[in-house]
Amino acid sequence: MTEPRPEVSLVRATVAAVVHEPVVAIMLVAAFFDGISGNPIHALLLGGVAIVLGRDIALGEPNPPVSLVERGGWVPPSWIVLGLSGAFAIVVGAFPRYSWPATAGVVAMSAAAIAVAWRGPLVARTVPGPLPRAGVIAWASVFVAGALWELAALLQQPSLTADSQQHPTISTLTDPALATHLGRTLIMFGWLAAGWFLIRQ
Amino acid sequence: MSSHDVTVLGYVLVVLACVGLQLLSLRPSSRVPSFTALLRRVMRGRPGRVGVITAWAWLGLHFFAR
Repeated sequence: MTEPRPEVSLVRATVAAVVHEPVVAIMLVAAFFDGISGNPIHALLLGGVAIVLGRDIALGEPNPPVSLVERGGWVPPSWIVLGLSGAFAIVVGAFPRYSWPATAGVVAMSAAAIAVAWRGPLVARTVPGPLPRAGVIAWASVFVAGALWELAALLQQPSLTADSQQHPTISTLTDPALATHLGRTLIMFGWLAAGWFLIRQ
Repeated sequence: MSSHDVTVLGYVLVVLACVGLQLLSLRPSSRVPSFTALLRRVMRGRPGRVGVITAWAWLGLHFFAR
């Protein structure tokens, strides 16, 4: 019996990783629905990350064992990152939502953050062992309830692309704020600050 | 109370539940982990870490990008 060619084996292993790794599967499903909803850039980002991550898992590439700082890298202090984030938010927030400059800025920032996350944690941190099941279920229940509430509001709109004031989604509720430069600046700064918080975990 | 108010109240309750769980996690010997502990556990490996950051990136795209 002949061995399959290496590239065939890699494709099979990637498909297996997609099936068995929930993160990859979730991203692929999200990419599909974003794609059919007319958001090709969103779909490309989600689908691209899912495929590369699936291939990565298939190849069994190990995580960097230590943080960037422990590998001799430099991590800027938070006040510098947040200051630059504020400047970024003021500049990019000056452009209307869904404009090409705003899109380019957000895509660039997203790609940079994903690339950094790919290489491992930034700073040394204590990773907890297995967490109490009851507590994890409590958190998961709240997140799922929030997601279902948002989904229920979405499905009660006249259509998927027409907002409803009777059943507003979070996006509908934030639309008035995002219509102004100040609102876009504040929300974008909040998004960047949240990203900085997450990437330091 | 209108449908709008009920919908918004749902979001508020979800946020309050998160705050409540976080407060519960601060008690000694609590069985509820803090949000940070949950994140660190999820992000301990590359799939979880990249997945969380990609979810964050998607939020930015959803609100600002075409």
